[in-house]
Amino acid sequence: MSTARASARWIRADLRARRGQALLTVLAVAGIVTALIVSVTLLEDGTNPWRGLFTESRGAHVWIHTGNAPDVTALSRLPGVAEVAGPYRTAPVTLTLEGKKSPVALRGMEARPPAVATPLVRQGRWLRPGDADGVVVERSFAEALGLRVGASFPVTALNGASHPLTVVGLADTADQGFYPEWTPGLAWTLTSALARIEPALGRSESVTGLRLVDGENTLPAVHGAVTLLDDQIRRMSTWREVRAAMELDNRLLGLLLALFGVTGLVAAALAVANAVGGRVLTQTRDIATLKSLGYTRGQIFGLLTVEHGALGLLGIACGLVCGQLVAFFALDGVPLLPPSPLPLLLIILGTAAVVVVAAALPAWRGGRTPPLPAVPAAPPRGRLSRMARLALLVRLPPALVLGTRDAFTRRTPALLSIFGLAVPMMMITIGLGCWATLDDFLRHPERVGQAAALVVHPDKLPAEEAARLAAADPQVRAVYPGAEVSALEPEQTRTVLARALGTSAEPYPFRVAEGRMFAARGEALAGQGLLDLLGVKIGDRVRMTVGGTPLIVHIVGRVVEPDQDGEVLSLGMDTLAAKDAVPPQFYSLVLEPGADPAAVRARLLAASGEKLEVARVVNPAERLSVIRVVIVALIVVLSLLGLANLLTASALGLRDHALDLAVLKAMGLTPRQVAATLVTGTGLLVVLGVVAGAAAGASVVTGLVDLQGHTSGVGAGIGRAPSPLTLTVAVAVAVGAALLVALIPARRAARAQVPVTAR
Amino acid sequence: MSPPPIVNTVNLVRIYQDGGVPVPAVRGVDLKVEAGEFVAIMGPSGSGKSTLVHMLGGLDARTSGEIWLDGSRVDTLSESAWALLRRRKIGFVFQFFNLVANMTVADNVELPALLAGASPREARERREYLLGELGLADRADAAPAQLAGGEQQRVALARALANRPSLLLADEPTGNLDSRNTRDVLRLLGEVHRDGQTIILVTHDARVASLADRVVSLLDGQIVDDGAVGPVRRRPRASAGDVVELRS
Repeated sequence: MSTARASARWIRADLRARRGQALLTVLAVAGIVTALIVSVTLLEDGTNPWRGLFTESRGAHVWIHTGNAPDVTALSRLPGVAEVAGPYRTAPVTLTLEGKKSPVALRGMEARPPAVATPLVRQGRWLRPGDADGVVVERSFAEALGLRVGASFPVTALNGASHPLTVVGLADTADQGFYPEWTPGLAWTLTSALARIEPALGRSESVTGLRLVDGENTLPAVHGAVTLLDDQIRRMSTWREVRAAMELDNRLLGLLLALFGVTGLVAAALAVANAVGGRVLTQTRDIATLKSLGYTRGQIFGLLTVEHGALGLLGIACGLVCGQLVAFFALDGVPLLPPSPLPLLLIILGTAAVVVVAAALPAWRGGRTPPLPAVPAAPPRGRLSRMARLALLVRLPPALVLGTRDAFTRRTPALLSIFGLAVPMMMITIGLGCWATLDDFLRHPERVGQAAALVVHPDKLPAEEAARLAAADPQVRAVYPGAEVSALEPEQTRTVLARALGTSAEPYPFRVAEGRMFAARGEALAGQGLLDLLGVKIGDRVRMTVGGTPLIVHIVGRVVEPDQDGEVLSLGMDTLAAKDAVPPQFYSLVLEPGADPAAVRARLLAASGEKLEVARVVNPAERLSVIRVVIVALIVVLSLLGLANLLTASALGLRDHALDLAVLKAMGLTPRQVAATLVTGTGLLVVLGVVAGAAAGASVVTGLVDLQGHTSGVGAGIGRAPSPLTLTVAVAVAVGAALLVALIPARRAARAQVPVTAR
Repeated sequence: MSPPPIVNTVNLVRIYQDGGVPVPAVRGVDLKVEAGEFVAIMGPSGSGKSTLVHMLGGLDARTSGEIWLDGSRVDTLSESAWALLRRRKIGFVFQFFNLVANMTVADNVELPALLAGASPREARERREYLLGELGLADRADAAPAQLAGGEQQRVALARALANRPSLLLADEPTGNLDSRNTRDVLRLLGEVHRDGQTIILVTHDARVASLADRVVSLLDGQIVDDGAVGPVRRRPRASAGDVVELRS
């Protein structure tokens, strides 16, 4: 207790004497904890509304679409099935609003909401027994179309009859993904109303949801349902697909943040260790004095660990708050669930452990300081280092030589300083590499499989007319017919997208990363995600059901595939069955270099009299632009870490050579030369650290991005290292800033009266 | 039975190892210091006088021999036990003052008291008293670097006396001061001694040593001379018989 009081005085005084450095430590640790927490929030689907919606609505894990209503009793007896939702009759209708047609799945429900997979009414109300024309619309669908409660909802059934319905409520659901990622849009109406709109049972399907005991284990129920219902099944989906559809591109961001966070933690540990180590060295005399006053070795150790560890813990606390705030504000409007306690606890404990250990190691050395204050903690002296001799050899100015010598008088701290600067620099380089990759996406979309800038749907025009109009535009270089059908993988439990574009003779310019382009019927390209899903290699033949037609597909290459997690099969139109390929569903237009897609789109719309539907292709980099904000923020945090290390190195250099300064001045060095000596001593470490970090970063960044591409299904072949110019500028800025920072204390020291006293 | 001497060393030896070559600094010193004595240890540079007081305060470990403080053997203590002992019984004054640079004068003086378990109020009262006595009351909130050398040494003295130690060890306390400040510090030491404080002072300055009751001369780590200077001042609790003896 008594020691605590005395120690508190010491800590307070010490912190007051180095406010800036203490603040830097707190900020750096806070920044890293923020990055880690945001990354966990993102990786954990904290930002994915699916989890919240599913829990709130007591959603069904598996949805089965069948022709006729299945045997509910038999389904409920399947292994793992807890409850059954439905079956609900669902009819395809077309909603026509202001001339725009949107397909809608109209689902018949009862006035009493079901216990499983309950639609969550957010506005308006649920259906009432008398609502002959009332409809409740899925919220994202309603928002996309600008529908509100009370709006009219005119639908046309397959028989051509129109029915004026009215929106009575908007509801959220976990039954399917958001519109327009997941089509058709969903709307609920009373079963009686549905029977009136679509009297023919054969034109509707039956949808049944299975809520499982263990959501992770969907396979037994899926297999059971397939065996039970066999060819009645038209489509099946599991909660995983719904969740994936609702997911923003957060995973990549989360991984990036996690990578930065973990490496940043290493950098922070180094910064803390360097700061404490430097502090112990500069305070050797004070520590010895404390010992002569009656501090024991353990108490000194405790004192230093508590002081520096507390800064780290304060940083962690700040980071916790910041992490929540950043996650809250950055992902504005997305319903956010706090990350589950376990990873949060792991982050807190892990960071705390790293910080405390990083503080404790040098503190332990501080505790072993002999209590004899008279013994100076001078650096090991003696011969010139190899570097210094080299500097002498090439006849450098004396200030440089002396600085070079000074840089390595203490080997371990010098190496730690270099390492402490190299790690943040490496991460900054990796961040710049991610930036360069995004730029590359935008500048060369063809390299990420997006050669076409526009997609034209014939809509009201005949397909040939659409193709002719598109080809007639002067800035359209090529027009490729395309069609998208669903393909069932061999086990038939999941559907993937099969995209036909171009023909074997004239294939669309896919970006083939491995293997070769398809050149004959039956040959196809796959994205990395599909290869992983099927567990096949390039060159394998796979039996798939493409658009309802069984087909043996020879996979001859891998494309860079930014869509659908890479689970896409790309093939030529001639491989598709004629019913799917003729006429083409759409045309992909490759524009001349430099053409403005918006201008071409406007021309095409005008030329067709607004009868064509022309859509711009969304570049994945546009969706990932938030990554740039993250990269900038991380560079700031990493620079703080570098700065912390730099200040330590600079303070240590100053302390070690304070006595020499008097000697140097006595020998006739001008203050400017003395300052140059000091700056050289620190600057050499900076240059070595920064160059090593940049080199390491540049050499791993391509591999890292490709690894991420591989795991996310896009596939390797997208990573770019930062351009040599960017890298040179980054290194120059880092070194320049570091030298400026080192110059201030050096000038002050050079001009100060240096007392010739023992230390 | 008379009280045990404050300090008693028996054949105290300290041998440094310098690159494998043994360098004896203290070679068999037997020193007895009674309570209330003011002993100056004199000797040229390298005679082992600093090493001797450092060993007495536990800052340096002995190679062989015994050290007794206040009647108990202390040379066998661990480093931590020495630290605890220093808190209560030993005050140090060093040549370079060794004030904690980041702490104010007040904090520097209160630190040992707090360390020894005094309440913040007691520590503050003691500090106010000491700084007042030493004429530094108005500098309590200054940083050590703002003080002149003599002032710094007075603060160091106040800090050393904060816990009313049984033994005050001063290692060249005037070595870094000009003559005026030297005089001030010595006057203070004399006053403290008159109040009954046992002092062992290391110096190579004969004028400084002349202030002491007794001068022990050290040469090459051995005591070559040990004698009283002038009339031996007795501690205040001396008996009437002592006074009679002095007058006769």
